Formats: sequence, C-alpha cells, structure tokens
Amino acid sequence: MSDLAQMVSLTGLSKGFGADDTRVEVLRDLDFEVEKGKMVAVVGPSGVGKSTLLHIIGLLDRPDDGNLELDGLEVRSLDGEARARLRNRMIGFVFQHHYLLDELDALDNVALPLRIAGRGTAVARARARELLEAVALSDRGHHFPDQLSGGEQQRVAVARALAMEPELLLADEPTGNLDRANSEAIFSLVCELHLMAGLTSIIVTHDEEMARKCDGIFRLAPAGETFEHV
Amino acid sequence: MSAELHLARRYLLGLRRRTHVATVTLISMVGLALGVLALVVTLSLLEGFQASIRQEIVARATHARVTPVVGRRLTDPKKLASVLQEGLGEVELVEVVRGTCLVSSFSDAVPASVIGRSDALDVGVDRILANRLQVGRGEKISVISPRQRLTAMGPLPVRVRAEIASVQAPEPGSEEGSVRLPLEIAQRLLWGDTVVEAIELRDTSDPWRLGARVRAVLGPEADTVRVDSLEDLHRPLLLALAMERVMIFVAVGLMLVVASLNLLCNVAMVAAEKRVDLAVLAGIGLPPKALRRLFLLLGVGIGLVGSTVGAVLGVGTSLLLDESGALPLPRGVFSFSSVPFRVEPTTVALVMVVALALAAAASWLPSRMVARREPAEGLRYE
Repeated sequence: MSDLAQMVSLTGLSKGFGADDTRVEVLRDLDFEVEKGKMVAVVGPSGVGKSTLLHIIGLLDRPDDGNLELDGLEVRSLDGEARARLRNRMIGFVFQHHYLLDELDALDNVALPLRIAGRGTAVARARARELLEAVALSDRGHHFPDQLSGGEQQRVAVARALAMEPELLLADEPTGNLDRANSEAIFSLVCELHLMAGLTSIIVTHDEEMARKCDGIFRLAPAGETFEHV
Repeated sequence: MSAELHLARRYLLGLRRRTHVATVTLISMVGLALGVLALVVTLSLLEGFQASIRQEIVARATHARVTPVVGRRLTDPKKLASVLQEGLGEVELVEVVRGTCLVSSFSDAVPASVIGRSDALDVGVDRILANRLQVGRGEKISVISPRQRLTAMGPLPVRVRAEIASVQAPEPGSEEGSVRLPLEIAQRLLWGDTVVEAIELRDTSDPWRLGARVRAVLGPEADTVRVDSLEDLHRPLLLALAMERVMIFVAVGLMLVVASLNLLCNVAMVAAEKRVDLAVLAGIGLPPKALRRLFLLLGVGIGLVGSTVGAVLGVGTSLLLDESGALPLPRGVFSFSSVPFRVEPTTVALVMVVALALAAAASWLPSRMVARREPAEGLRYE
C-alpha cells in the first residue's frame, strides 16, 4: 500500500500497442507518484507515451502490467462499471481538443457529469451555472460549441472537468490548440481552480514555460523507460 | 430523466445539425415508416375482406348445430328442441334433414343437396342450382329421391313436383346447388318417416358463443349429441383466413426487417462517427451499460418516430380509401361496391410493437460494440 499522501501511485507500469512484429512498447516498467494537492507537468517528445500515461491514470485505458493506486485505492481489479463511477466521482479531464458534445449547449455540457451521477436536472444546471460563472462564461450558457471561440470552448471543457468537484484533474495538452494569449488564460484558470478546489493536477504539455510554473515536472524520455523528476 | 435518455433525445433532435448522419437517419425512419405503412394498409385491406366474409357467414349460416353422436337420427328431437328453446330463450331453432336427390327441370336434371327445414313453408332453390337448371321463380322442378316405393308398376323412386317460390343466395362455402323444402316433404323424400337429423340454431346477438351456450344448456345430455359451434362448422374457412393473415403479415413484414437492417447500419455509422463523443462520455463517467442503453434508446427512438409516422399514414390511408370507395370492385362479383378496409387497433399496435422490437434488435449489436470499447480507443487517434 502506498503512502496515503499520494494521490497517484504507479508501479512497474508497462503498456504497448499492436501484436507480434508490429508491437510497440510505449511505456515500460514505469514508476510514478504524485502527492495530493500538487500540480505536476508531464513533458516529453511526441509519441513518448504522455497521453497513454494520462489515459491509464484516468482509467480510460488499462496497463499491460503494473499497479495503479488512486488515493490509496487499487484500481486494477475494478470492472468497467466501477471504473466509470470512479472516473465520474474522482477524476476531471481536460483534453487538447475541447471535446464538448455538439448537440448540447455549454450549460448542458457542463452539467453532463452531474446528470451521469444521477443529480436532478435543476441541481445539475445550477451547479453548471456556477462553474460557467467561475470561468467567466455565465452569459454563454445557451450557446452551442460551434458558437463559441476556441478559448471559450476550452473554458467550458475546464468547467465540465470540475463539475463533480474531482480530487484529480488530468489535462492532456489543454492549451495545445490555442494561441499564446488564450493558452496563458486557460493555464491561469486551471492554476487558479487547482488552488481554489485543492486539486491534484497532472498536466501533459509541450510548453516548457508552462511546465516550469507547476510544482514538479516529470520528463518522459524517448525510450519510454526513464522518468525524470525535476 | 437519465443522462442516457437525455443524450439520446438530444442526439435525435440534434442530428439535424449534422447533415450526413441526419440524412441516413431520415432514410432509416422513412424505411421503417414505409414498412409500417405497407403492413397497416395491407392488413386493413385483408381485415376488410375477411370481416365481410365473416359477416356473410354470420348473416346466412347456421350458428350452432346439434346432431346425433351415433347414426343420423336424433332420438327425441321435439324434447331436445324444447329444452334448447327454454334454455336459450330468443334464438332461431329449426329441425333439419339433409340428403342428395336428383333435381330436374324441363331442360336438365342434376344432383343437388336437399335441405328440409321446419321453418320452410315453400320450395326454394339457390342460385347455383337455378343456373344449372336454367329455372327461376314460378317454374316447376321435380325432386327425385334415391329411395324407392313399390307401386303397381314395380319399384319407383319417390318424387316430388313443386313450384319454385324463391331463389336464394347459396350457403357460405357451398359449391353444389341446393333445394330447400318444408321439413315434412323432405322427410318423405329422404326417409319416408318423421326423422330429424339435426337441430340448427341461430342467434344474431352472439353467434360465435352460441355453440358453448348450447353445450351449457344441454349439460350431461350433451354427451349423447354432437354440438358444432359456428367456428366448428366453418373451421377450414376460418383457419384459411387466419393463415392468410399470418402469411401476409410475415411476407409484408419482411419490409420491416429490411428497414431494420438499414437502421442497424445507421446506428453503427453513428457509433463510428460519435467515437470521440462516446470516449469523452465514458471519460466523464458514463458506465458501459449506460452507453449500451444510449444506443438502444437511439435505435428505438428512430423506430418509434418511423413506426408512429408509418402507423398514422397507414391508418389515415386505410380510412380514406374505405370512406371514399376509391378502389371500386366489379358489380355482381362481390357483395360490396368498393375494396373494404377495416383498421383494427390491435393489429396496428402489433405492427408497431414488431417495428419497435426490430429497431431495438437492430441497435443491439452496435450498442454492444460501443459498450465493449475501451474509452481511450476513441481518443487515441485523434
């Protein structure tokens, strides 16, 4: 069992794709820990397995080998339904693309995790309004994703990630598709919400400047095996 | 409202925002609607014809018949008739003998059924016999029995010469000509005695249950006689009508199967197109079972819209064609002037249930595929 101060504890993680001759080992025998309340950047060249690492931590994918504990809970044995419940309750995701649902307006997109958790429509929407206000989009609740700018879309995505008051925020290049000004605005927003909500955050990024503002940097080497904690 | 129901509703309503999927979805809905429409109209047409046939049977045929279990004579027909009349109340009850005789006119002689009935006061022939003998009302015919009597000239067949008082429609399902005689004359021709072979009953207020009522009235006595209900008397015809309904339902229902296969392709296409959305939904905690339900709801939603539209159009078309008499029938062939349509609510409901079941079955495979996918698979190649 890991120390309870660890939000994420990964040991001996391996993950590959493909079979036989075409198999590519992306992550091999990796150990990785993140303390509660910290904001950690994961950096490294493209194809090194940053997103794969984030997907495994976020229970979106299963490792070939190794153990993962989230807040002391061993997740390897959990079935699909239990993993989904844990994702809903404990983890917030922000992706490189906003990945908002086109058919829902901003308010319903933000309220969606709450509705999945079984909260009533009124409660979910009230919470979504609060969050949209927190990301300065209170007047854009009834706009659909294609009626929002790139920066606004990503702010809605951040609001959606925080809807269930998660303990762990995972962001996969959240500013990758934005210009400098919007990138800085989104990153500042994430930092601010991280502090306000007392989150543990893992941010995959190519932006060294952004990474330096985090509590720690994990540099994933091309071999996929070495992991450098700065 | 659950999250998956909310999403399925928004996907269906929001599909108009995505032209490609919307077009394919519309085609699926139209396919199902056409299938349901064709099935409703066809079954209404069939029901129209079959209801007319059933009405004709009820209007003209015997509703229940009591005959002896052994032999051809009823042992005490008067007592039996009185028990039935007392027990059943207001029903038509006649004593009957039947046989086959040679019936001749001036021009021809043909074998025909002879029906002696206690309610017949004069001689009547059906249209079939009238056509065969080229005779009509007021003309004379001879009915010659196979039974013989001894005369001074030796044995001669028993014969009756009579004037035709009426020409009637043949009994439903009858193909041989028949002559109807007063009971006493028929008894003399066929038996030479006051024999009654059957008691026939009619009750226009509840014809289909008369057989059961007769059995109930007779009680233990029912063991000594055979009671045939309206259904028993016309079993082959009614069975043929039921079979016809089933076969037409299956044959035209194949259209629904084809429409459902189209729906399967459509839902699978939506699943492929929404791969990222589904991964994100899984990412924010929608469980695999809910994802499966979402796609089932999507398929059933398309099925519900398609089958409702089809049912409304089918019912409307059937009622319109029936009311307007837009499809005329040749006179003299049928007893009605235009193609009859009869909409049965239970049939329409059955068609809709089948359409929805097929829609659910068609969306089951894509929904299972979606639920089995790891969420990261949808995000990996984006």
